[in-house]
Amino acid sequence: MASSLYEWIDERLGVTEAIAFARHKMVPVHAQSFWYYWGGISLFLFLVQIFTGILLLVYYRPGADAFESVRQITYVMHFGWLIRSAHSWSANLFIFAILVHMFSVYFMKAYRRPREVGWITGIGLLFLAAAFGFSGYLLPMDELSYFATKVGLGIPASLPVIGGPIATMLRGGPDVSQFTVQRFFALHVVVLPLLFLPLLGVHLWLVQKHGNAMPPSEEGKPVSARKTVPFFPNFMQKDLAMWLISLNILALLASVFPWDLGKQADALSPAPAGIHPEWYFMAPFHMLKILGNWLPGATGEVIGILLFTAGLGLWVVIPFYDAEHTTGRRSRFAHYFGLFAVASLILTTALGYWGIR
Amino acid sequence: MNYPFWEVPFIGSGWVIGIIAIFHVMISQFAVGGGLWLPMAERKALREGRQDWREQLEKHSRFFLIITGVFGTVSGVGIWFAIGLTQPEATSTLIHNFVFGWAMEWAFFLVELTTLAVYYYTWERIPARLHLRIGWLYAGTSLFTLIIINGILTFMLTPGAAWLSVAGTGAESSRFWNAFFNPTYWPSLAMRTLVCISLAGIWALVTGSRIDAEKQPELKSSYLRWTTMWLVPSFVLMPLSLGWYLLEVPQSQRALLSLGISTIGSGTFSQVTRIVLVMIITSATIIFVTYYLAYRNPKDFSLAHASALVLLALMATGSGEEARELLRKPYVIGGHMYSNGMRVRDVAAANKNGYLRDNAWMGSSPDDHWVRGELMYRGQCGSCHTLTGYRSLDKLMAGRDRESVGSFLTMLHEYKPDLAYRKFMPPLTGTPEEINALGDYLYSQANPGPATRSSDNRLAAKTSSANTSTH
Repeated sequence: MASSLYEWIDERLGVTEAIAFARHKMVPVHAQSFWYYWGGISLFLFLVQIFTGILLLVYYRPGADAFESVRQITYVMHFGWLIRSAHSWSANLFIFAILVHMFSVYFMKAYRRPREVGWITGIGLLFLAAAFGFSGYLLPMDELSYFATKVGLGIPASLPVIGGPIATMLRGGPDVSQFTVQRFFALHVVVLPLLFLPLLGVHLWLVQKHGNAMPPSEEGKPVSARKTVPFFPNFMQKDLAMWLISLNILALLASVFPWDLGKQADALSPAPAGIHPEWYFMAPFHMLKILGNWLPGATGEVIGILLFTAGLGLWVVIPFYDAEHTTGRRSRFAHYFGLFAVASLILTTALGYWGIR
Repeated sequence: MNYPFWEVPFIGSGWVIGIIAIFHVMISQFAVGGGLWLPMAERKALREGRQDWREQLEKHSRFFLIITGVFGTVSGVGIWFAIGLTQPEATSTLIHNFVFGWAMEWAFFLVELTTLAVYYYTWERIPARLHLRIGWLYAGTSLFTLIIINGILTFMLTPGAAWLSVAGTGAESSRFWNAFFNPTYWPSLAMRTLVCISLAGIWALVTGSRIDAEKQPELKSSYLRWTTMWLVPSFVLMPLSLGWYLLEVPQSQRALLSLGISTIGSGTFSQVTRIVLVMIITSATIIFVTYYLAYRNPKDFSLAHASALVLLALMATGSGEEARELLRKPYVIGGHMYSNGMRVRDVAAANKNGYLRDNAWMGSSPDDHWVRGELMYRGQCGSCHTLTGYRSLDKLMAGRDRESVGSFLTMLHEYKPDLAYRKFMPPLTGTPEEINALGDYLYSQANPGPATRSSDNRLAAKTSSANTSTH
């Protein structure tokens, strides 16, 4: 019965062929293999985002009712708090996993020829994930999310000429309001997924096409000294084990530290003390703050935004600068640039939190 | 109030017991389950003439001896110190009621430790059959330690009507067997036995993962596959025994389980539900990982996998124990003593004559208003709350003005039947003046000012002079 069912499916979908292909695909085994799992972990957390996001969508009401609907989800609906908590925690873990994945790809030099497009699409996915985070953060419309969004949207507003219109368009008016929630909601559940999913498809297809890159230390070894395992079932089993570990960590965080809901946002009340962006925006936010201290007013913010954009630009084009599989000057420089980026992100994030403690 | 208050900053004194107890339970239940695992495995090796198994079992028994004989015993004594300091009144009640039970426990414990040492040191030195008999003797004595301690632990949740009818009369020990074989005794024993058997399997996977699959592939496969079978009884029977256990738990306590289904209030409102969720997901993961990694791919099963399983088991055990503890709320001994050590029957007297009246450690009710407030906090809140850390009163009182703090305390003092907090908090006892002092103290802690700072000094000075006069 089972085998005839399998044959029926196989004849139509070519399952055997797909498995044979997956068995044929090999994954390198070496001291840095651990970092291969982070792309898969990011994917898993994204799937959790979709699943919990759809469930939240059933009860969430954007606009004037936003806060009340989230209050009901958190305090009235059965296990609504758990779904919301899992959604918020997995969003943060998702961005964390992408960052780890990106830096591991960077330091293993997995962006080199022919993987440049994979690198660029990956950075695009990170930006979209950050946009998901920024737009989703406002949706509960509690005090903290309201004022943090207000501060966040104040940054592009400071850009000359185009800043004002961009900020007004995002806000749906001169200030953050229920219209902003409506817009952010549309972004969060329609526009961003429409951009994210095809880009993710291209990214995964490129991973499939080029396979896992070997770090330079492995590339230097003779072929006979390199170890590999088949993607299916060996690597996939371990990948799934990592998903399971991620699920446990997520369940633990969501259950033991459920995501709280603050007071309803009130535009007329003063901003509470210590308003700050989410942790993944803390570094750019604090860099701008430092520059603002040196160059007060709009000049500091404009120069800051330009510098940050230039840094990101360099980050995106690094595969074209360090394209060859050699250990020359460019390779070393790219490595130091990566170290500098990690150090400055950690340092400015830490300084940002130190400042609001 | 016969004992001083033990205040542990940030984590609170309750978590001192919790941390030691979770660690201890994980090991002591391994001692019971592993006690059965060892002779069963040895019998299998003897029947099948497997010398490689016997050599592996000797290695496992060394691991077992160190883990249970050293860490298990030290943490067990640690629990005694911790409960004596944190819940002296409850510990006193348990000792008065179960001194005979504990004497039996210690007798079995001594035999258990001795036989374990003999078992390990006589591998290949005495006839195999005799060695196996020593293993069975160990298994029997360690099982009896569980049989006894289970009576005392379950008593705290469900002391039973017979014991409660004589509680406080001085004749409590006349109901020893009623208290021992209380309503949750048998389902709890079933659950704990299943957990012990599972833990025996999980810990044995640790030693099994160390077998070199290149050199001894067959040993590793057979050893790990046989060991994974030890998780099957738990997988099949645990849901049933958990259901049986919950049926025996009073409805008021069982309701705590469902409080967190629809809400995430602060404190204990939803804690039991949330902790049970952790227990479910970690237990399910253990079964999944054991089947796919240890059973299906034993040769690839590594120490990292085994360590992850131990960590998951620690989380599952910790969650289970915490959920069990929380189910007792608002009591530490169901229906008899509240979680802050106040006996149910003493509440009216404390309200009439004052909570601090019998404070042996202060000589008498202190004159200083601030000192009274702080003592009220330490005595009635400090068992479950801290000022700035776990279940922080700073956080819970934040944003309240003095009047609101007072209303909250009055609400806890009146303890009306429909009060939501009754589900997990004891009543606040004391005279209106004492409650007012507590209100001032809590308000000043949440809104620090000069008065607060001086109160600490006053209490320190008072305590110091009282101790001097006592000596």
